[in-house]
Amino acid sequence: MTCITLDRVGVTLGRFKVLSEVTAQIPAGRQTVIIGPNGAGKSTLIQTILGQWPHTGTITFDPAVPRFGYVPQRLDFDRHMPLLVREFLALGISQRPLWLGLGPKVADRVFQGLEQVQAEYLVNKPMGSLSGGETQRVLLAAAMMTEPDVVVLDEPTTGVDISGEQLLCEILDSFKNNRTIVMVSHDLATAKAHGDWVICLNHRVVAQGRPEDIFKPAVLAATFGIHWGLEAQTGEGRSWEAPWNS
Amino acid sequence: MELMSPFYELAGLVYQPGFMRRSAAALFFLTLTASAVGVLVVNRRMAFFPDAVGHSVFVGVALALILNIGIQPTVLFLGLIIGLLIIFLSRHGKLAPDTVIGLTFSGAVALGLALVSREPQATAGLTKFFLGDVLTVTDGQVLSLGFLTLLSIIFLLFLTNRLTLASIVPRVKAGTELAEYLFGAFLSVVVMLAVQAVGVLLVTALLVAPAATGRVLASSFKAMFLSAVVCGVIAGQAGLWASSQPSINTSVGATVVLANVFLFGLAVVFRRFRPDRG
Repeated sequence: MTCITLDRVGVTLGRFKVLSEVTAQIPAGRQTVIIGPNGAGKSTLIQTILGQWPHTGTITFDPAVPRFGYVPQRLDFDRHMPLLVREFLALGISQRPLWLGLGPKVADRVFQGLEQVQAEYLVNKPMGSLSGGETQRVLLAAAMMTEPDVVVLDEPTTGVDISGEQLLCEILDSFKNNRTIVMVSHDLATAKAHGDWVICLNHRVVAQGRPEDIFKPAVLAATFGIHWGLEAQTGEGRSWEAPWNS
Repeated sequence: MELMSPFYELAGLVYQPGFMRRSAAALFFLTLTASAVGVLVVNRRMAFFPDAVGHSVFVGVALALILNIGIQPTVLFLGLIIGLLIIFLSRHGKLAPDTVIGLTFSGAVALGLALVSREPQATAGLTKFFLGDVLTVTDGQVLSLGFLTLLSIIFLLFLTNRLTLASIVPRVKAGTELAEYLFGAFLSVVVMLAVQAVGVLLVTALLVAPAATGRVLASSFKAMFLSAVVCGVIAGQAGLWASSQPSINTSVGATVVLANVFLFGLAVVFRRFRPDRG
């Protein structure tokens, strides 16, 4: 079953055409990884899916109006700002202002959210004291607490050490049967090990398919431009049959 | 004015003259509002916003005299325009907020000086805005400040979480346009009223110093907010009291700000020697 269908989607930012004729399918209840070189439009694509950029072409969803949980690549904040993890998580789910403290129901939800990402020990820690991996797990908890249909992650393993990355991937694996996960990643090893479906993007879709079909020298060369003259044409625009449709 | 009588009675425990009671009540409302709003100002890294908006008072006074219209509404209106302009340029321009604030600040001062140099009589009107004049506050102005405090509580009840989240998670910024403009407008009004109490040269301290003290003392948002408000109110009343002592006899605005800076210094020392904090 397809959760998100992109049909000839194009995005122009200023004078620069970032995405052109992007046609792709994102399966429901699976983990889709979008890979591509720097500046290929990966982040723009997920921001377009999230409705942040105007686009040409069509994007259709199933369910028609999905609830998104978004995990940004980084937090744009002053690390010395006094803000506990439980306060940060309450910001997204509670109308009660932080200066009145957390109500008992919100405090319970926050703790359960942290339990989901094996981070309950962080509940009273300042946000600024977290490591890269801990920050990503807290951001994932924040996204999951909104009970999303689709979880969108923008390069979640950037700046995370190997053990933190492994833990994050295991947690994402445990979520994917109930949620659709869409992740932008620079890390090909992670994409290969944990992705169910891979979209190779370089302003347009170079190839899409299961990891075993995508992680071949010809397709990667076409996507990343390595040995361009020798093998570039081999993977151009190629799509493998989506297994959830067969 | 019956609404204000509990505050006047409380101030009456310390002060006999009516003008001192009104000043104490006015400073209570103003410091409460300024220190609470100041927490968002500091956390959103807008510490020089009050300076830029405050300096638009030069333009306001000069324009009011040239056009022969009321100084108070002109000054408030121009502060509002400058505040909203800063928010607009920060959101839609390609410049960082500190650059936008710096440019707006310089522009407001330059335009004000240009107008004042054309209309020398405007200089006299500016004097009270330089140092502020909380001792001449009227019952009506105290009531207005009380109303402002009530508004600020309502504002902070609804917008604290949204504005804090938007300052942390970049994507959320896209959905906070109205909240940002409301914050800019509200902050501008607070600044322009604070200018009349402590003067344009010290207005930033009234908003920023209590929040900075709270930030030094606290590790949670709630603790920062509460300590900022408590420190701001204490500094306001301590400054008024100290300035009224014959042995001290200094300007109220400057003494209030000095009290704020003193509390900040105490907080730094306290934190330095507290065993559980680095």
